[in-house]
Amino acid sequence: MWHRRLAGGPDRIDSMAQHSYEIALSVGVFSPMVSFWILVFFGPKFGKPAAGWFALVLGMGVPLACATYVLLGWLGAMDAGQSAALTANAWRGQWAMLGDVAITVGVKLDSLTVAMFFMVTFIAFWIFFFSIGYMSGHSDEVAGQRKYWRFFAYLSLFGFSMLGLVVSSSLLFLFIFWELVGLCSYLLIGFYFDQPVPQYAGMKAFITNRVGDFGFLIGLMLVYFYLGTVDLDEASSRFAQQAATGTGVFASHFTLFGWSLATIMGIGLFCGAMGKSAQFPLHVWLPDAMAGPTPVSALIHAATMVAAGVYLVARIFRLMTPDALMFISLIGCLTLTLMALIAVVQTDIKKCLAYSTLSQLGYMIFGMGCGAWIAALFHLITHAFFKSMLFLCSGQVIEGCHHEQDMRRMGGLWKKMPVTCATFLVGVLAIAGAGIPGTGIGLGGFFSKDEILAVSYARAFEWNSVDKIESGHHDQPDHAGVVPPRRVVLASDLVQHGDQGRGVHDGERSHGANNPAAQGKEHRGTHGETGLATIFSNTRELPKWMFYLALFIAYVTPFYMMRAWWMTFMGKPRDDHVHHHAHETPLMYIPLVVLAVGTIAAGYFLFRPLIADAAPAATAAAKVMAIDGEIHTEAIASAHHYLVYAVGPAFVVGFLIAIAIYAKGLGVGERLKRMPVLAPLHTLLEKKYFFDEIYDFVCVKGCLLVAAVAGFIDTWVVDLLVNLAASATERFAAFSGLIVDNEGVDGIVNGIAKSSRDFGNVVRLPQTGRIRNYILAATGVATVVFLCVLWASSVAREVAVAATSASLGR
Amino acid sequence: MRLLALVGGVLLLYSRSAWAAEGAGATTKAVSGGLLETALFYFVAFAAVVSSLGVCVSRDIVRMAVWLFGALGSVAVMYFLLAANFLGAIQLIVYAGGTLILLVFGVMLTSKSPWVKFECPKVEFLLSGVICAILLACLCIVLTEATWAGTPQTVPGASVAAIGKSLLTQYVVPFEIAGVLLMIVMVGAAHLARQED
Amino acid sequence: MEIGLAHYLVVAAVMFVAGLFTMITKRNAIGILIGVELILNSATVNLVAFDRYQGPGRLDGQMTALFVIVLAAAEAALAVGICINVYKNLATVDVDRANSLKG
Repeated sequence: MWHRRLAGGPDRIDSMAQHSYEIALSVGVFSPMVSFWILVFFGPKFGKPAAGWFALVLGMGVPLACATYVLLGWLGAMDAGQSAALTANAWRGQWAMLGDVAITVGVKLDSLTVAMFFMVTFIAFWIFFFSIGYMSGHSDEVAGQRKYWRFFAYLSLFGFSMLGLVVSSSLLFLFIFWELVGLCSYLLIGFYFDQPVPQYAGMKAFITNRVGDFGFLIGLMLVYFYLGTVDLDEASSRFAQQAATGTGVFASHFTLFGWSLATIMGIGLFCGAMGKSAQFPLHVWLPDAMAGPTPVSALIHAATMVAAGVYLVARIFRLMTPDALMFISLIGCLTLTLMALIAVVQTDIKKCLAYSTLSQLGYMIFGMGCGAWIAALFHLITHAFFKSMLFLCSGQVIEGCHHEQDMRRMGGLWKKMPVTCATFLVGVLAIAGAGIPGTGIGLGGFFSKDEILAVSYARAFEWNSVDKIESGHHDQPDHAGVVPPRRVVLASDLVQHGDQGRGVHDGERSHGANNPAAQGKEHRGTHGETGLATIFSNTRELPKWMFYLALFIAYVTPFYMMRAWWMTFMGKPRDDHVHHHAHETPLMYIPLVVLAVGTIAAGYFLFRPLIADAAPAATAAAKVMAIDGEIHTEAIASAHHYLVYAVGPAFVVGFLIAIAIYAKGLGVGERLKRMPVLAPLHTLLEKKYFFDEIYDFVCVKGCLLVAAVAGFIDTWVVDLLVNLAASATERFAAFSGLIVDNEGVDGIVNGIAKSSRDFGNVVRLPQTGRIRNYILAATGVATVVFLCVLWASSVAREVAVAATSASLGR
Repeated sequence: MRLLALVGGVLLLYSRSAWAAEGAGATTKAVSGGLLETALFYFVAFAAVVSSLGVCVSRDIVRMAVWLFGALGSVAVMYFLLAANFLGAIQLIVYAGGTLILLVFGVMLTSKSPWVKFECPKVEFLLSGVICAILLACLCIVLTEATWAGTPQTVPGASVAAIGKSLLTQYVVPFEIAGVLLMIVMVGAAHLARQED
Repeated sequence: MEIGLAHYLVVAAVMFVAGLFTMITKRNAIGILIGVELILNSATVNLVAFDRYQGPGRLDGQMTALFVIVLAAAEAALAVGICINVYKNLATVDVDRANSLKG
């Protein structure tokens, strides 16, 4: 069968087909780049719509074609069971050697990449299409600069960066594309650069991103230093090895706030995702980014760039320790809660959608942290579809209402903009998770959000039992499509079997739809799951309040979305002027409709299997849980069933409350706003928890304070030292010159001269010039000589006498 | 002065008598004995010493010249005592009668006023006195303790004729040179003392 | 007692030292000359004394003393001339004033 054929090895695979996918993906990555350069140099020569069409075709049409090709081919390969081999043989090259570490570059060819690539190109294509019409009215030339073609040049650059990020297999190159995406975001948000608000919004986005990237760099450096490689797969296998043996990053005793170094590495890498996906402390830039044109909001801040953060977490999932995952889920939970609550009180339609995006991103991150890898990514893809569609709808509304963005002035637009109203409703239903519980019928959020909640429920409440249950099971690779009931991969299970290369007891991933190739897949390299399990078997259960918050917000989300929809389209018009002029632009239907269809249909059937296929390799040796709508284990099944009935009707509850409050206009809402308990809460939410004020005070003023202190130090310490040094040198020079030189050296010289002169003066004293003194001197000397002679002679005489007497005496 | 002249006269008489005795071919009797000679020697010696000391201590130049004259006279008498008659006469004639007069002339020509006296500082006085005293002591020790070579002469044998004869035979060269020297001295002195115009 | 050589020599020594003392302490140039005369005289006394007591029948001492006297006279004459010149130039015969060679 197919798996036996797979066991035959990679030489069975057609190498042309292998590399054709990489080639196709690379062409898809680089064609927006070509479009960018052409538009940069020749943009002015294109006319107003022509630049847009050019960018559409070359910048996104070609990548979409490539993506379709790769997708179809990949689905076929998945059927034939060759996908793992294709992944294993994906092209990797060495870019450079940095010290001992090889910087690799390559294409990561697995199902997730294929899915993401297709999603990005598809959505970007339709948004390019939308913006051809939209930007023709929104790119007024300002000083000849705010040009139509610049917008498409930036969009092309963004396409290149995002696609490059998605296909990159090397963490360093992923980071490079990451930075490029941030740059494009800045350029695009600040497209209306003549106005102050977009300028500051662009700066805010970039700076906040940069703060996150600082953490990313720390994580990247730790990866580089401790794991010795920047290739994602290689790094993951080394991480697992080090966890098993306690070496490398696990050998360090460094802790920060109680986190080990490995946890810090994971959290550092996650900081990048916090910045890019606007998670809790770094979320402040996304609402302000709505100052950019609507297509930008749709593409970048709903579907793709903010998804890059979640994609990053998915890719580095194997580098996470349980503590890091707990941190991730904490951040996700906080984000989804706080942002949803702010969305409740928003009156600007785009801001409402922005906070909704933040909340859903929080869900994705929360899901990642809990271990619902598949669910989070699935939610990412469905969210991309419906959120971009919602943004485009809001763009239509704003455009149609002559740049009116305040929902309090809209109302009753369904008559004037029926298509927009319908597609907006589709999006609202999708985000609310509308569906019929118990059956498999529902829109995107019904499945994805559901799964996240189920996983978090299991993590929070059923962890121990799940652990015990699963550890008792042995999973045998099954044959012929009998899918084993086990859906949960636990590392503790893997340790039972101790299989290195064939640690594929995560043998689920087969979905009813079209992926029988779930079992018995070879994994590339040694993942060392066993060692990881023994170390990581102390994963804690999820705190229960996280689950309760996620569940609560599942009720709040439909509420505020329905509120937005109702305030905008239903009810009586509140502003006659706005209502009078509202209209729809036909050309811009198409993207909306396409995306709506995509929201409804393609999510579950197309993308989920792809993601599920990628899950084992991408998350091996980590705890991953996924629930299929159809087949459950005993424990999870019961949980899911409960949850289905807890979460399923959530959308109905939310909708009903919203309609109840806003059915008759804003009156009830206003009264509620002023109620004693709710009023301060409303203020808090309206002011976004005063985050901007806090950041301004702490960060901006903090920076200024540091600058002032540094200036003070510079003036009074550094300059002081410099001046002291200068004056000391001056004094020393004076000392050296005046004292040492004048008095010392000259003193010596003069002293010698003086001493010789004094000696001469002393010596000349006898030279009185008086003859009398000379005579006296001569006399004196003669006398002395005389005395000496006398004395000598007397001595001699005594000696002689003694000798004589001695000789006589004998 | 008169006393000295008197003494000098007595000595002269005595020495003449001695010559006469010698000229008469007297024997070589030592003229050594006699209380007279001893007393005379001591007297003359005392005079010489006193005169010399007088020269030292006197402050006035003219007084010094007078004391010098006394010293010279004593020396002349000593010559006579030493049976150097000719020399004694020459001493008196040349030294006392010539050189001393010359010195007095010099004094007269070079004194601004007869009452101006130059004093030597007391320190120098004492210092030189000490040194000279020491020197004197040494000399006296040496001179009294030494044993001289040669034999003592028993007969004084100096006569004027002998002196004259040796001047022209043995000592002719110094004699001529002395003459030349005197001429040079005359010329020099004349030149030195010339009148500046 | 017998007057011996030593007696004369001692007297001469005294005169010599006196003359030396005079030369040292007298500031008048003529005074110095007087000292010189004394010294010369003591020298001649020595010569004659030695001649008398040590030289048998010889006249060397006396002849030398004769020449000494002659030369002393000549030298005194010249010295006085010098003193007169000094007096003419310095307006004084104070030898302490004649110290141009002072170092």
